[in-house]
Amino acid sequence: MRQAIRVVALFLLLALAVSGCTAVPAAPAAQEAAGSGEAVQLSVIHYFSDTLGKEAMSKILSGFNAANPATEALDNSAGHEDFKTQILVTLAGNNPPDLFSYWAGARTQFVVDGGRLAPIDDLWAANDLDSIIPAGIAAGASTYGENKYLIPIGYHYVGMFYNPEVMAAAGVTTLPTTWDELMAAAEQLKAAGVTPFALGSMNRWPAQFWFDYLMLRTAGPDYRARLMAGEASYTDPEVMAVMELWKSLVDAGYFVENANAYDWTDAADQVANGQAAITLMGTWITGYWNGNGLVPGENYDFFPFPSIEAGVPNAALGPVDGFVMTAASAHKAEAEQLLMYLLDPQVQADWAQAQGALAPSLQVDPAIYNVVMSKANEQVAGAEVFAFNYDLATTPPMAEGGLNMFAQFMNDPSGYADYLAETEAVAAEVFGQ
Amino acid sequence: MARARWTILFLTPPLAIYLTIVLAPLLVSFYYSLTDWNGFNPNYNFVGLDNFLKIGRDPLFANAIRNTVVWMILALLLPSLAGLTAALALNGRGTAGNFYKSLFYLPICLSLVVVGQVWIWIYHPDWGLLNVVLARVGLESWTQAWLATPETALLSVIVAWTWQQTGLAMVIFLAGLTAVPKELTEAAEIDGATYWQSLRSVVIPLLLPATIVVMALAIINSLKSFDIVFVMTGGGPFHSSDTLAMFMYTESFRKYYMGYGSAIAVVLFAISLAAIAFYFRQVRTLDHLYD
Repeated sequence: MRQAIRVVALFLLLALAVSGCTAVPAAPAAQEAAGSGEAVQLSVIHYFSDTLGKEAMSKILSGFNAANPATEALDNSAGHEDFKTQILVTLAGNNPPDLFSYWAGARTQFVVDGGRLAPIDDLWAANDLDSIIPAGIAAGASTYGENKYLIPIGYHYVGMFYNPEVMAAAGVTTLPTTWDELMAAAEQLKAAGVTPFALGSMNRWPAQFWFDYLMLRTAGPDYRARLMAGEASYTDPEVMAVMELWKSLVDAGYFVENANAYDWTDAADQVANGQAAITLMGTWITGYWNGNGLVPGENYDFFPFPSIEAGVPNAALGPVDGFVMTAASAHKAEAEQLLMYLLDPQVQADWAQAQGALAPSLQVDPAIYNVVMSKANEQVAGAEVFAFNYDLATTPPMAEGGLNMFAQFMNDPSGYADYLAETEAVAAEVFGQ
Repeated sequence: MARARWTILFLTPPLAIYLTIVLAPLLVSFYYSLTDWNGFNPNYNFVGLDNFLKIGRDPLFANAIRNTVVWMILALLLPSLAGLTAALALNGRGTAGNFYKSLFYLPICLSLVVVGQVWIWIYHPDWGLLNVVLARVGLESWTQAWLATPETALLSVIVAWTWQQTGLAMVIFLAGLTAVPKELTEAAEIDGATYWQSLRSVVIPLLLPATIVVMALAIINSLKSFDIVFVMTGGGPFHSSDTLAMFMYTESFRKYYMGYGSAIAVVLFAISLAAIAFYFRQVRTLDHLYD
């Protein structure tokens, strides 16, 4: 009998040891930070996991650690796709990070709605961030509902990146600023044996920029914002017209064959080696091309997406990356220190150059940009609206449905009316709840 | 009595681990399948069987089931036939045979992620091995964007998967062949049976246990098929290569319908359970056969 009890006790002990595995190491770590005079550890998770991004971010964090000996920021990174799933799992768990990088827009809204982020209004007011961050970015990327949540560290601009040599050889000497001029240029390029538009939509998102700009330049930013919020329908005549316009380009043979078989770097290569002339892409393409030895302004350049309807407010498109603080963070004061450090003009400038991005801070000297990035900077400054690209502008389940539609469209544009009806069914489910 | 105690003692650790990392998450996903949880929001509602009703009317679920069935049928045919052929051809061929056995078996040592990446290169529309070879032998018209065309995406992924799985089937059949008594094949030969007659009437029936193992593994692996799909197509283009596991991932982690994703997981679990129950029944029947 006594032995039986001993066996049961042993079983319980083992069960406790196994189930307690996650809780046990957390406790001593917390004590250590609070009790002794050692540095407070800040856990930071970000998605800049490529070689350049990782290096640049780790440089920023070690710079912060050197400047703030009482705090130690711990650098953790995951690839974009993994990050999207991991961060939500981590946030739902018991041990969320203090800070993490995130895409401004609907994705941040999603986490704010879940009550997982801490507002930074006090930090914003105390440091007069309105004088550092441009109003457009502050309103669109940092503010959710009544509160500020996100510190922007970099953003990108989506434009028509082209190969100047190829354009010149085909006789396209003036860059198109209207739809008719764009069509004329495309026809000239095609006649010269060059595919006008490269697109690598294997991972779907590169196709969204066409939808975004066609939408912004025809129905306009206000209508698009309503569509993104579920207040307009994918079967509206405005959306139908956009798809019809897009289809006319595919039908005319202006796009590469099998766009869904390539990724965005394939499309960048096709433009670089002269198979194609133009690709609609974000400024991160400059980082890729510079890495391959192309010279900005000589081997590549961009022009803004031409206007289509007169009287529509001029919009620039792109994503904003930033950092947010978790509601569960136990070291908010230290986390805020790091957020402020990320706004330091030198940090912002270094980051922009490492990423081929634009710096949100107004304190950054535009002289840091190369000729192409400096033009992108002017485009954004001159735009009346800065819009987020589709997958950041609408809620994640809707984005999944829309991106799917773009891939379907690139495969066979003739069925666009059916695809829009299917997408509207997704929208009804997503926004109907 | 003492023996029973020791049994309990030794069983406790694995049982405790099994309960925490297998059974508990299983029960938790059963629980979430009855909610509209989005994966991280602390608040969620009980929706009863709504998620299961949604499964019934979701065309994407039907599509994922269809693809999984296609996968299962091809998984039963392709790697098993290729593995059996390789095993019969290479059995008892000395050093050269061993060399080729190793070659066939090698892909099994690779992670499916690596296999997927290698085959992405093979299928590349411009410079991929497949299209280049087709163009060289005058079959230019056959070349296409294998992974980007909805009609070929699923099959292309299954072919890549088969390339890896053939080695596994071959090894199991080779093990089965060693259990075929030489006397029987020799007797058949003396009786004047041709190679094919001996194969059909002697060898293949005796390979039944190996065949069942291969088939069961094929069914289970096809229900699990996720990693290679994730790497090669992500279920695309537009769901044409979605398997059940891939579809569950998309719903849970891309759309953040964790409740619905859990319901899909429950259905997948039920199907797997049925497949495994069938397997155990077959194994029991076999035991009787050899008793």
